[in-house]
Amino acid sequence: MIPDMRTLIKLLVLLILALPSGAAPAEKTLTVKGVRYFSYAVFTRIVFEVESAGPYVLTKADDGKSLMLAAYDMPLVVKTQLPTIKDGVVSGLETREDAGRTVIFVRLDAAAGEAKDFALRAPDRIVLDITRGTAAAPVSQPQTVPSQTGKSVTVVLDPGHGGKDTGIVTAHGMEKAFTLELALAAKKILQKDPRMNVVLTREKDKALSLDERATVSNVSGGSVFVSIHGAPDPVTRVYIQDLLEGPGATSARPASGDFLGFEAGSEQQEMLWGKQQAAHALESGVLGRSLARQFGEKGNADSVQAPLAGLKAVDAAAVLIELGITKDRSKAAEAIAKGIEQYVRQNR
Amino acid sequence: MLLRVAIVIVTTAVGAGTYLWWTTSAPTTSLKPIGEIQGQSSPLQPVRRDEPLTVTLYYPFDGSLATGSLAVKRQPGAQAQAREALAALFTDQRSSQAAVLKDVKLREFYLDASGTGYIDLAPNRQKDLRASAAEELLAVYAMVDTLAQNFEEIKQVMIILDGKEALTLAGHLDLSRKFTKRTDLVRQ
Repeated sequence: MIPDMRTLIKLLVLLILALPSGAAPAEKTLTVKGVRYFSYAVFTRIVFEVESAGPYVLTKADDGKSLMLAAYDMPLVVKTQLPTIKDGVVSGLETREDAGRTVIFVRLDAAAGEAKDFALRAPDRIVLDITRGTAAAPVSQPQTVPSQTGKSVTVVLDPGHGGKDTGIVTAHGMEKAFTLELALAAKKILQKDPRMNVVLTREKDKALSLDERATVSNVSGGSVFVSIHGAPDPVTRVYIQDLLEGPGATSARPASGDFLGFEAGSEQQEMLWGKQQAAHALESGVLGRSLARQFGEKGNADSVQAPLAGLKAVDAAAVLIELGITKDRSKAAEAIAKGIEQYVRQNR
Repeated sequence: MLLRVAIVIVTTAVGAGTYLWWTTSAPTTSLKPIGEIQGQSSPLQPVRRDEPLTVTLYYPFDGSLATGSLAVKRQPGAQAQAREALAALFTDQRSSQAAVLKDVKLREFYLDASGTGYIDLAPNRQKDLRASAAEELLAVYAMVDTLAQNFEEIKQVMIILDGKEALTLAGHLDLSRKFTKRTDLVRQ
């Protein structure tokens, strides 16, 4: 019996599939598939998007003029074009072969300060934040002149929402415009005190993630963080972070592998982004009370605890204040400034 | 002939007796103790399975959480019963038009062995979810309290969106944590 042509082709295909390929198993690599960067007033953020989690090493060159990112114990593969960065903090990115391995060099400018790196999941990425040092502070950042009576205090005002995120929309306007107007007015009042160094997370209509807002506060050395929001009803509410952990709170410990660059359970993994506010619970409570008293009709006005996504990574006394969007804006800004001033006077 | 008649009479009598005994001894309705349905033992209060279960609904009202009774269809098991109560929160006229709740749909509710309830929501694709922090806080705790206050099997609640973990619902609250019931938001 002679097999027909179709059967022969099938047999040939099966034979080819059955043959050992001879190829070695795919080598594990740390593959960079995209690089983004953001230049902010006080820091530059570079985001390396990786195909899948893997350990990495970030070191500073001996001359201090560049940072070197390499994979640990596996090759680094760069599948993307590196962007051109020249923002006064970073002067360029380049890929180089160094001792037989691929390294991404981040060239630092004279204004570059400290560098912090985070490894985040879903999507997997390595985030590098480089602060703008004191050598070339941006024009928009006010220079602090400490008074004779005390040291300077950095107050970070965070106008909620921005850009595509309008916040609530009412007949009185969009929340994003309301919060920016209040923040700019409060800044103007606070800056009359030479001790106050006021930083805004955004000074124009721009979208910022909650982590980016917290980062602005943390890298600028903020002692006070006030996130300003609007509400449709006329009631003013002041919120502080609810740090009570229920029986199954997930924030206490990161899940295994949440940090790409470190072993699970290591000391580094414990330094999880998002736990910074825990160290400021008491200060935040005092700040919250100081602000609530400016708006409360009764003397015992207090803040409300809530699990807030925007405060958990803030390394400072932090509150979220929500004011009725119909409120007199100049009076509201004065009250915010007064609450902050009282807190600073009594606690800083 | 007489013997045959006697056998027929005896057989008929035995058959009729057996039928009467069978029909009178079998349960007329399928009664189940309420506790069995809710996962508790309460043998003193038998109820019909088709009777509705009364739960306490927590819903946003005038800056706090108000409470009200609501009769929901009885379901077998805590997960299905809790899902029924939660679904009612999204349809009841007292709560369905509240901020955030009106802009999301309940996709599913799961309860795991550790007592964690997972509320899987689907945001309305037509528009962005916009709410103040106060509205978001009340909407979240309306769901959490409606579950945790009515079902002792539910110890904590996690909220997910479209089957995945999410950072936040309307931009203010942290959804990465598990929520436990909270009474300070409830109107006294």
